[in-house]
Amino acid sequence: MENRTATTADTGVDEEVVSQMADYATRGSCLPIDNLYTSEPPIVDPLVTATSTAQDRTLDQCLPLLKAADSNIEYNANGVPRLHRERHIKYLEQTLGNLPAPFVGADASRPWCMYWALNALSLLGADVSKFRENLIVTAAHMQNKTGGFGGGFGQTSHLATTYAMVLSLVIVGGESAYEVIDRHAMWKWLSSLKQPDGGFHMSLGGEVDVRGAYCAAVVISLLNIPLNLSSDSPASAAGLADLHTGLASYVQRCQTFEGGISAKPDAEAHGAYAFCALGCLSILDAPHRIIPRTLDVPRLISWLSSRQYAPEGGFSGRTNKLVDGCYSHWVGACWPLIQASLGAPSQPAQNSEFCSFYDREGLIRYIMSCGQDHSSKGGMRDKPSHRSDAYHTCYVLSGLTSAQHVVSAVLAEEEYVANTAWKVSPYSDPQLCDEQDRLNPTDPVYAVPQKKREEVMTYFLSKPGF
Amino acid sequence: MPPKNNKGGAKAKELSEAKQENDNSRPQTVFERAQAAYDLTRPPYDKEREELGGLHALSTVEKTAYANWFCTGSDELSCLSKKAQKELWKQVNETNRPLRRGQIDQPKPDQWGKDKLGRNIGDYTVPQYEQRIEKQAQLTGLKALGRSFASKRLYASKGLVDSSTGERYILTEEDIQAERERRKEMAALKKDLYGEKMGSYSTDPEWDDIVPIPQMEPEGALAAIAYPEDYAESMSYLRAVMAANEYSPRCLKLTEHIISMNPAHYTVWLYRFANIQHLDIPLLDEIEWLNGVALDFLKNYQIWHHRQLLVEHYYPTISGSPDEVKRFAKSERAFVMEMFAEDAKNYHVWSYRQFLTRKLGMWENEEHGELDSIEGMIDEDVRNNSAWSHRFFLVFSNPRYATPESHATEPDAGVPADVVDREVAYAQAKIQLAPQNQSPWNYLRGVLVKGGRELGSVKGFVEQYVQNLGEAEKEEVHSSHALEQLADIYEEAGDKEKADLCWKRLGEKWDRIRFGYWEWKRRSMKTAAASS
Repeated sequence: MENRTATTADTGVDEEVVSQMADYATRGSCLPIDNLYTSEPPIVDPLVTATSTAQDRTLDQCLPLLKAADSNIEYNANGVPRLHRERHIKYLEQTLGNLPAPFVGADASRPWCMYWALNALSLLGADVSKFRENLIVTAAHMQNKTGGFGGGFGQTSHLATTYAMVLSLVIVGGESAYEVIDRHAMWKWLSSLKQPDGGFHMSLGGEVDVRGAYCAAVVISLLNIPLNLSSDSPASAAGLADLHTGLASYVQRCQTFEGGISAKPDAEAHGAYAFCALGCLSILDAPHRIIPRTLDVPRLISWLSSRQYAPEGGFSGRTNKLVDGCYSHWVGACWPLIQASLGAPSQPAQNSEFCSFYDREGLIRYIMSCGQDHSSKGGMRDKPSHRSDAYHTCYVLSGLTSAQHVVSAVLAEEEYVANTAWKVSPYSDPQLCDEQDRLNPTDPVYAVPQKKREEVMTYFLSKPGF
Repeated sequence: MPPKNNKGGAKAKELSEAKQENDNSRPQTVFERAQAAYDLTRPPYDKEREELGGLHALSTVEKTAYANWFCTGSDELSCLSKKAQKELWKQVNETNRPLRRGQIDQPKPDQWGKDKLGRNIGDYTVPQYEQRIEKQAQLTGLKALGRSFASKRLYASKGLVDSSTGERYILTEEDIQAERERRKEMAALKKDLYGEKMGSYSTDPEWDDIVPIPQMEPEGALAAIAYPEDYAESMSYLRAVMAANEYSPRCLKLTEHIISMNPAHYTVWLYRFANIQHLDIPLLDEIEWLNGVALDFLKNYQIWHHRQLLVEHYYPTISGSPDEVKRFAKSERAFVMEMFAEDAKNYHVWSYRQFLTRKLGMWENEEHGELDSIEGMIDEDVRNNSAWSHRFFLVFSNPRYATPESHATEPDAGVPADVVDREVAYAQAKIQLAPQNQSPWNYLRGVLVKGGRELGSVKGFVEQYVQNLGEAEKEEVHSSHALEQLADIYEEAGDKEKADLCWKRLGEKWDRIRFGYWEWKRRSMKTAAASS
């Protein structure tokens, strides 16, 4: 990146130049890699604790890959491995097929498996329409008459699996997919989960946390569910006006002294919940209005920015925890929403530095080098010592697309709460990745292809009531 | 001598060969035995005729004998004259062969069918086959006993009277136990004989009244799992009892079984809790079981929600007794610490601990307070941010002085100054151990904000980690977090140039990965200055 050149004078004592040149020689045709991504940070405390030991181990496994020193991997001119697109597609299609007995632990999260695979496939540009018919029968089978989707046939409806199933149906798209969903039952069920404190239970008798707030806001807005509460809702009895009432203040109570967001009030700030919080708020109102009104944004930005580590380049989920590829999405996807929260929607500032709160080069290097399974298995992973899985494949690729595209809010009409429009366009400055390694863009709030999100909203906006 | 020996040897060899031949000729398999029996019962010369390829191949004597035998069995015999008949019988007697008519059908090699492994039962050795027959007989006997058990249960349920004894039918615990044993035996026999797998529920008389609801996966279902049989059977019984809203000890056991196979199954956990509520299971029994499960499945989080529900459910029964609350708080803390020995940053265990602190009032000033334990954890690993986060909660949410709805990033006038002083000193002491550790820096800032203090109140402390900023060779920074804090201290004091220099140096050297953020800070301050 451009901004690195100025620093060479300060950090580039001769020794480092020499070592960079040596790296350059062994990698043949690659350009030199900034030592920010290949060597330990400038300040390291000598005190050894469990945390520092784990961090050292992580560096040991990441550095060889970041230095482009693995001769089994194909690197481009920037020392970045290629995206193994075909292998990832094959891997994801397998996870939609029949799974062997050891997957029994995923029996309560099959809608998640479908969403992760379908979303990642769309990011990779693969055809997902061929799964439409099978998805429809699978979804119908997992829907409960009392509203919502469970993790499988005969399982209690759950907000997380409902979110995943609704998004899956949105990704394959089409009226027959949309019409699987029983919106009236969904409305009644959502009403029954709504709590007097504004939050949502994940399921009847289940936990209340900020995931529930996000998942509910997504489902309500995508399906154009009427906001009024059913008469038997516990929130209705407590005098709440509608499904959105108190939701923002619930999210507000989840911000911690560190600036980040926790799963529920009193807990520790965590990257995944930061995205849920910002995503939820961005659905309730235009980000530039609601986010500063609800959260301490400067503290949140500082905390989010601390999630990126050098030399790894990836994000961690909490202070003093290790980088993990999935936070490429959970933390990475916060940035466009933060950006949007800082000013009134306007024409997107094209490719200016203004758009980058975090180090895009570092994130892309981490994803392509450490977050990819370079074996024939394919798929994306937490870190090199971990196996790839569908969850990481979805969220690491989501992070990659957010690092490859400029996203900005362009319009927030007052009439509808859920229609902030987002402009997504590729960064046009010199890319670390080759053009053929660019992914499809994604919707910053709903984490599905933007066009698919627009289609489903248009469809259900034409259906007020049930 | 030698020849004699030789001769004797040859004789012995002949004998043994003959014996062997004899052994070989004895039927080994079931099919061979049947074939031998068939052969023994065949008409005279029938075997020879068949083997040689027809009647014409027999000798004249044999032909005559065969024809004679044929005649003895036919109606034509009466057409012969008495004399001719007499002559025929005479000849028949002279051949000295039995006059049987072949009552046994010729055996076919596959007529016994195949066993569970696809082996032809006709190829079984005779002892093997006999064993199999014996098992089949055993099974038949057990089935009969099972039927009489079923009738007895039916009669007992209808209150009928046994006419032979004049007493009511009663199903005793022994009867049930015997049936249970019987089904186990039957299951083993069925599996052994036919490879039929009988699940643990379908063989248990306790579950006889339940019609399981199997998972009928639609054709083409995505991400379909090839369930292990045990799991599939248990789930089909679970669906059935859930549909019937049954809450009973057997349901509790069923959930235990499923959880051991798939602890991430939230539906089972919720249903388990409903059972506990209905059956009023003692808290400590459930907790004891739960501890084992939690240690077996360290990453699982449903366990912790379940535990929270349990505590919510039982708290009212102990809330009247401070001693009991204290005892429970201590034992819960002991277990939570056991979990942290495995993973000191387990998010769900920490969330549970926060819940517990509020519920049982484990604040710093209480005898069973949390503060000592947390200090121990921070001493163990001063970089454990979860422990720091819990400490902040303990100190600043303490209902004794904290304002209930005070936001985490806002000052709270309720917090006493000595508490703020104490926490500032604590954070500073820990920063000294490892200045590049962000946890106590975040903590320190949080404390200052809560206490309504200026960041500048710790300027002297922060400055010791930053020397000669901006002076090329002489610049020394021992903590990028100190430098960040220093920037905010300068900004707070209106010293924009110095603040800007801190951010510039952070982006250039001391924390380059956050360059974009430092630049935004610099720009924001300039924009703010320009607009004011």
